[in-house]
Amino acid sequence: QTHFGFQTVTEEERREKINQVFESVAKKYDVMNDSMTLGIHRLWKDVLVRKMNPSPGTQLLDVAGGTGDIAFRFINYVRSVRERQLQRRLKHHQNLSWQEIAQSYQEDKSPLGGSQVVVCDINKEMLKVGKEKAQDLGYSEGLSWVLGNAEELPFDDDKFDVYTIAFGIRNVTRIDLALQEAYRVLKPGGRFLCLEFSQVSNPLLSRLYDLYSFQVIPVLGEVIAGDWKSYQYLVESIRRFPPQEELKAMIEDAGFFKVDYQNLNSGIVAIHSGFKL
Amino acid sequence: MAAAAAGSLRRAGWGLWRGRAVVRWQLSPPQRPLQASAVLRRVSDEHKKEPLASSSQQQFDSHPADHQPGQEPQGPDPSYTGQGSQESEDYESEEQLQHRILTAALEFVPEHGWTAEAIAEGAKALGLSAAAAGMFQSDGSQLILHFLSQCNTKLSELLEQEQKLVQQGEAEKKPIDQFLRDAVEARLRMVIPYLERWPQALSILLMPHNIPSSLSLLSSMIDDILHYAGDQSTDINWYTRRAVLTGIYNTTELVMMQDSSPDFEDTWRFLENRIADAMKMGDTANQVQSTGEAIVQGLMGAAVTIKNLTGLNQRR
Repeated sequence: QTHFGFQTVTEEERREKINQVFESVAKKYDVMNDSMTLGIHRLWKDVLVRKMNPSPGTQLLDVAGGTGDIAFRFINYVRSVRERQLQRRLKHHQNLSWQEIAQSYQEDKSPLGGSQVVVCDINKEMLKVGKEKAQDLGYSEGLSWVLGNAEELPFDDDKFDVYTIAFGIRNVTRIDLALQEAYRVLKPGGRFLCLEFSQVSNPLLSRLYDLYSFQVIPVLGEVIAGDWKSYQYLVESIRRFPPQEELKAMIEDAGFFKVDYQNLNSGIVAIHSGFKL
Repeated sequence: MAAAAAGSLRRAGWGLWRGRAVVRWQLSPPQRPLQASAVLRRVSDEHKKEPLASSSQQQFDSHPADHQPGQEPQGPDPSYTGQGSQESEDYESEEQLQHRILTAALEFVPEHGWTAEAIAEGAKALGLSAAAAGMFQSDGSQLILHFLSQCNTKLSELLEQEQKLVQQGEAEKKPIDQFLRDAVEARLRMVIPYLERWPQALSILLMPHNIPSSLSLLSSMIDDILHYAGDQSTDINWYTRRAVLTGIYNTTELVMMQDSSPDFEDTWRFLENRIADAMKMGDTANQVQSTGEAIVQGLMGAAVTIKNLTGLNQRR
């Protein structure tokens, strides 16, 4: 027996309901994100990728990455780091012998330096929207789309440098299984990053936030996406999600070390980070 | 339910292992029996190091050499890379792993500078993913501080050994200026392999949030040198000596960074001159004092003579 928003349902029912929620919101997902958070979700995702600070060659697994926001930001970041790296290498190439010049042609000059991001999502509609977005924005290299369940990932052990799950772990039915899977697929030394709505500590802000969540967001959902119930589920699920310290304990249980969290906007959103050591 | 109990056991075990046991016990007394059995299990499994109950974090870090000789914290051990290193991580604390990564990262500093990239390369050299560099701050300051504390430890060991030799009578006790000169030279020589990137390191250390740690490392090093030099002053001299030596050390460091003479001869000559100046200053201070005393005595003598001559000194 588990919860779906404020209702009590079985695990099967919950999975089915969440599937339906995302099938129906997929097409308007990005628009709704912008209107609900007044565009601030972009800043949150930027902070996540900056905190990750990926270097060229990093393998990222973005779970519940649906429409690809984190994946695109990752690619942009790695591209700019790579450019700077290549420029620095060029500066050293002032007085080269012929042999060194020949060697430099054989060096790896790819724009991503071997970095790869795999976007994994359980919902086909979200992946479809993500793929279309990638095509529109011109992302093709180093990007792959996989259909999979966070509780049972279709990947081998020790494959990825970083595992991110942005606004997705809330919708996972068995969070502990998802965390264990995250631990399994990460390389030793790999990093787990989770960006998720969390509990607001400030009481005044908390009241305003509740007001906004329950009065404004479902209305926006109805007006923009024609779907009141999905957005009602969304705000309810935020309230049912464990607070920062509890999630930190769950991450430690899965075996991660140096687990820490960073509150953004005084707790509306929190980034949890852990290392597989 | 069982999972939750196992989870809390595991967490409790890790809490102890990280030395935060005391705080936890005070916070949640009912958990005491669980934590006690976690300790016993760990010790009997030979997973844990010695009595954790009393170990503070500090004690823990200073005891790595006592057990599991194969898992020395310093330097990458080739037999513990990849999967192996993951198991050995269970036996050492996060701090020890961080020290290992930073030590491995020092090799890459000449190429990448004191940056997170060097730390990432260090992590890769140990067989970990480059993402492990996320454990450290992104400005590379922890790498520099780690290097500094390593240098200071080496210096202490060097001075300790020299002192032992003197005590055993196998070496002569050096005069103080020679001793200071040798100690500062030995310490500065440790920086030579990274000299190209050292200005970057100094500028990072001067940033406000790094100043407390860098200042404390500097002062403890100066303290060590003066202690082994035999300084036992308990008055204002304690402070003036340290201030003077700190000044000498910093200026010599700056001179060394622009020195292009063979084997830094100019730097060592500069150091010699500064120490000679400092010694002279001490002597001059004493001379001034004794001259002052002599003058005062002379004046007193003159006053008594005048009193005698004018007859004021007679007692009838």
